[in-house]
Formats: sequence, C-alpha cells, structure tokens
Amino acid sequence: MLYINNLTKKYGSFTAVRQLSLHIPEGDLFGFVGPNGAGKTTTIRMVCGLLRATSGSVKIGNVKGAVGSKEMKRMIGYVPDFFGVYDNLKVREYMDLYGSMYGMYSRDIAKLTDDLLELVNLSDKKEDYVDTLSRGMKQRLCVARALLHNPKLLLLDEPSSGLDPRARVEMKELLKNLHSMGKTILISSHILSELSEMCTSIGIMNHGQLITAGRIEEIMYQISGGRRIHIQISSGMETAVRMLQEHAGVAVESVRENEVIITNSGTDEEISVLIGELIQKEVVLTGFYKEEGNLESLFMQLTGGSEQ
Amino acid sequence: MRVQLNPIVKKDLQVTARSMRFSWGLFAYEAVLTLAFMLGLLSIQSSVDSYYGNGNVYQDLVNLFPVLAVSQVCIVALIVPIMTAASISGEKERQTFDLMMTTCMSPLSIVFGKVASAVIRILFYVIGSLPIMALSFVVGGLRWSVLLYFVLAVILLSVFAGSIGILCSALCKRSISAVILSFITYFLLNILTVIPLLVRVIWFSKSQYLGESLLPLLFNPFMFYEEFFMQILTGDSLFGNTGGMHFSRTDVGFLTYSFAQGKIWMFLSAGCILLVSFLFILLTAWRIDPLRASSGRKAGRRNQ
Repeated sequence: MLYINNLTKKYGSFTAVRQLSLHIPEGDLFGFVGPNGAGKTTTIRMVCGLLRATSGSVKIGNVKGAVGSKEMKRMIGYVPDFFGVYDNLKVREYMDLYGSMYGMYSRDIAKLTDDLLELVNLSDKKEDYVDTLSRGMKQRLCVARALLHNPKLLLLDEPSSGLDPRARVEMKELLKNLHSMGKTILISSHILSELSEMCTSIGIMNHGQLITAGRIEEIMYQISGGRRIHIQISSGMETAVRMLQEHAGVAVESVRENEVIITNSGTDEEISVLIGELIQKEVVLTGFYKEEGNLESLFMQLTGGSEQ
Repeated sequence: MRVQLNPIVKKDLQVTARSMRFSWGLFAYEAVLTLAFMLGLLSIQSSVDSYYGNGNVYQDLVNLFPVLAVSQVCIVALIVPIMTAASISGEKERQTFDLMMTTCMSPLSIVFGKVASAVIRILFYVIGSLPIMALSFVVGGLRWSVLLYFVLAVILLSVFAGSIGILCSALCKRSISAVILSFITYFLLNILTVIPLLVRVIWFSKSQYLGESLLPLLFNPFMFYEEFFMQILTGDSLFGNTGGMHFSRTDVGFLTYSFAQGKIWMFLSAGCILLVSFLFILLTAWRIDPLRASSGRKAGRRNQ
C-alpha cells in the first residue's frame, strides 16, 4: 500500500530523516516508534504532502501522482497530534467543510457523516459546536473527518497524546475497528504498550533513521536470536537443565528455583518434541509458555536506552 | 458541469454570520455612515441658510454622495486588510492550516476563497448601506447606475486591500504582525507610485514637462478613487479640462495624454489594480504551498 523509498529530509547540514525506505502492506496497522526528534512526524508530513522531501519518493497503491497531487491526497486521511477547530461551527458543518474540500457532493457528505459519527460514537453530538467537544471527542471527530473521503491509508501522528485514559482506550478501540474493516493505518505514538497491543507491525526510528521494521514477533526474534520459553519444573531440575544444554538450537538463559528460561531458534514442532523428551526423562513440568514480545524492552535495546 | 461554492467561502460566511463581532461591525458601519450623512446634511443646510447661501438646499445635496462614498471607501480600506491579514495566519494560529493543506483544495483556491469571503463580507456592509447612499440620489440628480459603479469600485478596493492583507498573512506567523505589515504595505504602495512624479517635479522644476511620470499613478488606489469621483461628479478625467489638472499635449508624454481622455484612465487604473491584486494572490498561493522549493525550513525542524 505505502512504499517509501530512500526518503531524506535535510535542513541545511542537519538531516531530519535519512534514506528511509519502508513498505506497509495493505490492511496493516503499522506502529511508528521513536524518541522525540527521531523524524516520525517529519516522515508523516512528507508522506501527506505537508513537507517537501529533499530526496526520495513516496508511492501509495497504484496512484501515479506525486506527493501533494489530488490523487495522492484522496488516498490519505491525516490525523495530526493536535489540531484546532473553528468557533461557531457545528460538528455536521465541520464534516461538510472537509467533505467539500475533497470535492464531495453535499448529499454524500451528509450520509457519510451520519455513518462516521456513529462509528466514532459521536452521533449525539452532530448539532453541537465543535469547540465545545472534549479533547478526546475532538480527536475522534478528526478521525471521522479523515475517513470522510474514504482514504486507503490513514496516517495518525500521536493521536493519543494529551488524552485521558478513557479517551485513549476509546481511540485504541476505534483504531482496532478500522483495522478490522481493512484500512491500512500508520500510527506514530509514544505509548508503546498501546502500540504493541494493536499494531501488526512496527518501525523503530532513531536519529532520522529507520533502525528496523516488520512484525513485532519477527523483530523480537531477530533481536533476541530466538524465542524465549519459560519452563516451570517441580522436580528433575538438574536432569532438565543438562538435557536442555545438550540440545542443539537451545540456549539456557537462566535457571531459577522452579523455572528454566531458554532461547530457542527452532520451530513450534521442535519445541513440542523437546517438551516431550523432558517428560519422558521423568522431569515433572508444571507449565511452560512463550514469552510475548515486549515492545518497551525492544525499543530501549534498539535505541540504546535513549529517552522516549 | 458541476459548480461548487468554494468551501472556504461557505465556512467563513457561516462562522462570520454567527459571530457577535459581525453584527456589531455592521451596526458600527451603518452608524458611522449615518453620522457622516447627518454631518454633511447639517453642513449643507447651514451653508444654504447663511448670508451667501442661495436658499436652495436641493442643489447642494448632491455633495452628500462624495461625503458618504469617501467615508465608505475609508472604512473599507481600513477593515479589509484586518479581515484578510488574519486569514492565513489565523488558520496557522488555530492549527487548522495543515488539515486544510492536506485536502484536495489547491493553495490558489484556498487564497481565492479567503479573499472572496472578505469581499462578500464587505458587500454585506456596502449593500446594507445603499439606502443611506441613495438619500443623496433622491434629490441630488445622480443616476442609479452610479450606485452600481460605486459598488464595483468598492469591490475593486476590497480585492486590492484583501490581496495585500492575505499576502502579509502568509508572510507573518502572527495575525497582529500581518495586520501591521499590510497597512505598511498599503501605505508604501500609495507612496511609491507618487515618487516618479515627485522626482520629476523636484529635479526638473524649471521644466513643465512631466513626461510619463504620472503613469505609475495608474497603480495607485487613492488616485483611482480621485479619478472615480471626478468622473461621477463632473464626467471628466482628473487630468482633463474640468478636473483641475488640465494637461496639454506638451505637458505630458503621449501615453499619459492619451489615457487622460474620457474614462480611459479610470478603467485602465482599475485593470492595473486588479492585475497587481492577482499577482499578490498568486504570490500568496506560492508562499503557502508546502511543497514549493524553499518551503518549511523552520517549520519542518520544529515538527520533526
């Protein structure tokens, strides 16, 4: 869906984004992670035509137009981290304004407005003035506005910043809904736990460079050299540790009183065989589980522990 | 073919119509004009009733038209830059500008929309004041078409002042700076066009020949209105026989002499002012385009 090729943005001698190449497949919910000043917002602004790239290219789907062309703009729905509203403009009129800015017919806008306000749970606010809405409601309204022209790609720049916990949860649910509807979404956020819960893949940026991108599990796998498995043992610990140490493809990371943590680069089938062998050797297992990807630790590891 | 009202115009008018500021502005506008009318009437009445007066008030009532018209032109010249100078910088201050730029509207249509909404808002004031203006027509012997010309002249002034205001709005980050800059620019444009004439008069004071040094005045909105009122009241050009600045063929260059005949100067000046306005609008559109070659250095650094 989104192809970014060698995108660079320079301000004099300072390089904000350096040779960024990225591909986000259709239907993906992609999380853009990085510390302040990493270049996330610059990248998003270049993609939606708010900033001219020094070099590189952006392509969305099969659209032939350049960044900033009407064809490209129709493909993108943009939600900034903070946006203002007009005084004396009602929610319905706000939607009508942006719909007509995309060249839509008033009757189509009216119909879509009803559907989208229902989607973002603002149906009862249709006749309210926009400036009377809470921050969370405004942010959801902004998402509805961004969806009005039915874009293929939704770009959200820290949509949860400044929102209270309830509004954050509502925003997260909304994005999950949109993802389930097949929308391709790129979201930048500082709230890593939130991203790890909803994103299918992530990209980690630091100092203007994309350090890594891909499925969260795959990145974890690459970084840690395999998946971490916790095996809880009530008796036969020594036998188990010896067996695991001798097993090819398995590295024992730590041994606790009733638990062994191993790293395994093999497949799921190999792990089940390994567990079976332990049971055959009369090692009593009380449980085992694969460690879930921890985005925080991964992020800190990749960015060298720099400030988020 | 589908005709769609510029969304910016629609939104601006919607928002304006609901604001108390607009209602109070309209009230103040009408009040100032009524006051000007009353003062003019009082002055005419006392002049007619004086020892040297002829006792016929109707003959002098026609002079109310320039009083009211000049008052309107001054008010419009004052409020249009304020209206438009806050348009782009106001969007930036409100943080609505970026969202606008991600839509399918081109920078040029956004700028046109902003100028058009300012002109339409001015028309609300001007059309609302027509009954007061018409009072000088009832007894003054002016034709109804003069009212129409006057409205057109006010639209011209609104477009010109609006284009300066919006350019300054695109150049400045803050609305207040944009308002100040637009008044300075407006003032400078009026002054700059007089400089060639002043240079000619001062440096060649012994010679009466002015050459083509009057031509830059075609771009001077103040001179346009001088010419406009002269044409309406006397039917002659400001530079013509009854205009008070009668130039013979030997006083000025060929072009200036030719343009001073009939209504040529007035229409040509209107064209020149429109052309300058259009150039300012194009310049503004270029300035706000985020994808132009030299855009967003500081903005980008701030947003990275």
